Amino acid sequence: MPTSTTSPLWQATAQTFEELALLFPDATLTERQARAPLALTAIVEFTGPMRGRLVLRVSAEVLPSAAANMLGEDDAQHAPLQRDAVGELANVICGNVLPAVAGAEAVFLLSAPRLETGDVVPVREADRAMAQHAAVEVGVEDGRAVVDLWIVEGADALLVPLAA
Amino acid sequence: MALNVLVVDDSAVMRAMIVRTLKLSGVPLAEIHQAGNGEEGLRVVRDEWVDLVLLDVNMPVMNGEEMLTALRAEEATRALPVIVVSTESSDTRLARLTALDARIVHKPFPPETLRAMIAEVTGHSGIGGSHADEHDVAALASDSADF
Repeated sequence: MPTSTTSPLWQATAQTFEELALLFPDATLTERQARAPLALTAIVEFTGPMRGRLVLRVSAEVLPSAAANMLGEDDAQHAPLQRDAVGELANVICGNVLPAVAGAEAVFLLSAPRLETGDVVPVREADRAMAQHAAVEVGVEDGRAVVDLWIVEGADALLVPLAA
Repeated sequence: MALNVLVVDDSAVMRAMIVRTLKLSGVPLAEIHQAGNGEEGLRVVRDEWVDLVLLDVNMPVMNGEEMLTALRAEEATRALPVIVVSTESSDTRLARLTALDARIVHKPFPPETLRAMIAEVTGHSGIGGSHADEHDVAALASDSADF
């Protein structure tokens, strides 16, 4: 995917982490951040002039800080709310990057974030062959976040549906 | 005068975040009502006194645009101030919402942006467009306040 897509993906990711979660992502990861295992995956599917999938994966170190800053310390103690907070981060990143890629006239429908425990990259071989892909990885707190964007041009071109 | 605010969003987490940002904005608040979709939101508006609606766009059952249309169709709520709080960036859809006399605030947004927009749509002289003070904004990170 051209850098014209990677750049808005980086911008949407950085802005969302900064303004929604009050966390400031680093483009250059420390050794510790780079080694942090990815513990949670949030998936947002979109349809419109283009179809595709945005996937946000974060390490466990990111969860408590993001949830505390987004929801407050009390709610941040609850694991389900920590997960939901990451889902909202994915949703907002997706909502911000799509107009930058497809143009301000484009209307998209975004799915509710789907959450999976662990490091899940929900793109099968059939998808990889037909989709464009951009990715950014940022250091956050003592961990990291990885954002992948898969795009299929044209509303009729379908990514393989995710299993229920 | 403190405002009665209705927050309509299908995500409980996003509602909690909006309420938190609202409190940090320094806007004088009375009751904060919440609804998970446009249909629930309309019920609240009919049953409770609401001065301001903060409205998401993409929701199940009844989306934000449909709720806004319904509000503008009723005499009692035709002039009710509505701020659409969404990731929506489509010029096409934003133009439709603006035509229904809604203002738009784009996620993510800081408390001071919300405060300025609320002052604008409510015409509330006690709110003003000034930023929330630094202590309040810092509390968003430290969360020492009782939210």
